[in-house]
Amino acid sequence: MRRENGGRERARVIGLLDAFQAAERAGADAVGRWIDACEDPRLRGGLRVIRARDRAHAALAEARLRALGGVPAARVGRDLAALCGVVADPRVSDRTKLATLLARLPDGGDAPLADLVRGVDDDAETRALLESIGDDERASLRWLAAMRDQLDRRGT
Amino acid sequence: MSGAASMPTEEIVRFLDDLRAAEAAAAEVLMAWIAVCALDGLRGGLRAIAEREASHAELLAERLRELGAPSNARLDPPVRAAALTRFGSPVVPDEEKLGLLLTRYPDDAAATRAISGVLERLDEDLETRELLRLVAEGESATLAWLRAYHAGLAVRRAPSAARR
Repeated sequence: MRRENGGRERARVIGLLDAFQAAERAGADAVGRWIDACEDPRLRGGLRVIRARDRAHAALAEARLRALGGVPAARVGRDLAALCGVVADPRVSDRTKLATLLARLPDGGDAPLADLVRGVDDDAETRALLESIGDDERASLRWLAAMRDQLDRRGT
Repeated sequence: MSGAASMPTEEIVRFLDDLRAAEAAAAEVLMAWIAVCALDGLRGGLRAIAEREASHAELLAERLRELGAPSNARLDPPVRAAALTRFGSPVVPDEEKLGLLLTRYPDDAAATRAISGVLERLDEDLETRELLRLVAEGESATLAWLRAYHAGLAVRRAPSAARR
C-alpha cells in the first residue's frame, strides 16, 4: 500500500516537472524571439539572463524527471502558448509585452512556482531544486516590473 | 545622474572576463560537491545553483564575444584545485562545506559588492549593465538559499543535541 502511494506520488511529481520543463522551454523560445526584435539595450540585457535561466530550468527539470524514471512528453497549454505568441511577436511593443506578461503572473513576489513547491512533500531534492528555481523566477519578475515602470515613466 | 565616471571598454572586458572565470570555476566546484553530497535537499538546491553559475559564465562569455574580446581569464590553478579537493571530498561534512562558503560572504551583499560597484559606471553599455544587474540578483539568491539551508540544519540538529 505504502509502495503504491509512493509510486503515485512519484508519478505526480514527474507530471509536475514535465509540465514545468515544457513551460520553461516555451518561455525561453518566446523570450529569444523577443530579444531578436527588441531595440532597447537595457531590456535586451536582462531578457538574455531570463532566457538563459528559463533554458537552465527546463534542463534541470528534465534531468530530475528522468532521474525519477520519467520521460518528457508534456506540451504547453493553449493559454501559455498564446502568451508566448504575444511575447514573441515583433509587432507588439515592449511595453505591451511587459504589461501582458506581468498581468498574468502573481503579485507580491510569489513566484508562479510556489504552488508547485507546496505540492512536493516527500521528495526533498525536487522540492529544494524548485525552491531555488523559484528564487530566479522572483528575481526575473522584480526586474521585469522595474523595466515596465521605467518604460511607463518614459512613455515609450 | 550618478556622478561616477563611465567605465572604459577595456576595463569592462577585464571585469566581465574575471567574473566569467569565477562563475565557471564555481559551477565546476559545485558539481564536484553535488557528486558527493549526502543530503537530498541540499543536493537539489546545489543543482539549481550550479546551473545558475554555469549560465552566468556562458552569458558573460557571449557578451565578451559581442564586445570582440576573448575569454582568457582563469582561476589560479592551485586555488581551483584546492576548492575541488575540499568541496568534492566525500569525507568533509556538508555542513562544514556550507560553513566555509558562508564565512567567505558574511552578508548577502558581500557576493555582489564587486558587481554593484560597476553598475553605475556602465551608463554607456546598458545591455551589459542590465545583464550584470540580474547576475547579481542571482548571486544574492544563491547566498540567501545556502544561508537558509545552513540555518535549517542547525535548527534540526539542536533538538537531538538537547536530548543527549
